[in-house]
Amino acid sequence: MHTQSTPIRVLTVDDSASMRALLLGALTSRGFAVEQCEDGQEALEWLASNEVDVIITDINMPRLDGFGLIEKLRTSALHAERPILVLTTESSDEKKQRARNAGATGWIVKPFDADKLTAALRRVIH
Amino acid sequence: MSDMTPFLPNASPEVLRVTIVQGEAKASTDPRVEMSTILGSCVATCLFDPVSRVGGMNHFLLAEPPAHVRNQAFDSDYGLFLMELLINEMLGMGAIKSRLRARLYGGANLNPDLSPIGTANAAFARQFLTRENIPCVFEDLEGTQARRIQFRPASGQVRARLVPSDVAPTEKPLGRPQSALGTVELF
Repeated sequence: MHTQSTPIRVLTVDDSASMRALLLGALTSRGFAVEQCEDGQEALEWLASNEVDVIITDINMPRLDGFGLIEKLRTSALHAERPILVLTTESSDEKKQRARNAGATGWIVKPFDADKLTAALRRVIH
Repeated sequence: MSDMTPFLPNASPEVLRVTIVQGEAKASTDPRVEMSTILGSCVATCLFDPVSRVGGMNHFLLAEPPAHVRNQAFDSDYGLFLMELLINEMLGMGAIKSRLRARLYGGANLNPDLSPIGTANAAFARQFLTRENIPCVFEDLEGTQARRIQFRPASGQVRARLVPSDVAPTEKPLGRPQSALGTVELF
């Protein structure tokens, strides 16, 4: 359970520095505690020894993409149930279905609306 | 500048002309394709991967903040979206982000009485490329005149010419993304 005094911890995974900066500003200004990784591989390594409440990931990334990240997290004991939202410019149904099959919790198409995004974050952690 | 790619006579007899209007981002590997756009204060980014020979162009105009918000920068979300859309489309065609090279055009301040929105667009584009580690090998930005850009995505060749300002299409910032975008779908 999250009270006012314990901010929701979010990990954002995106290889674009500009997108990371945008997400950091949007989420910290709305009271979230934000950690950031540059690709799926870095996220996987960080998550091996850290916990968050919810993960937001891009799809197209070097080394390990968003699909691969979700698949690997779903097989780990620590993160099998972790809410994972995909935030992407991809609009194809095929990619969306792939994310769903991999175990994603939700799908958000960029450009994102910060209020809709934060509402979704609060919804999926409960 | 020495890095300007020469715009050679087209080897292919058949040219597929594609106009990129404000708010669009398109990529191609087809040597017949020639993209073109006319820019006033808008900025166009031409990206090219010389190994996979994938190229693409976008065309954007940042929105000014509302009049009552004085200390806020121009709204860069839409520019960021069009940059990412362009890059992702190119990655889907085999481009690699670390190989991309950029050329920037436009960002003119056509009306000296209005706020320098061209300069703001140019600054956003430069900052984006710096942040993303994409080398900008050529830029023809700002000034006071409109430009016509022709870009061959499969070879990376670009030609930019100054044109009379009344040739440039009317440019209005697109509003914040509409409700269809940013939609949250929970599975």
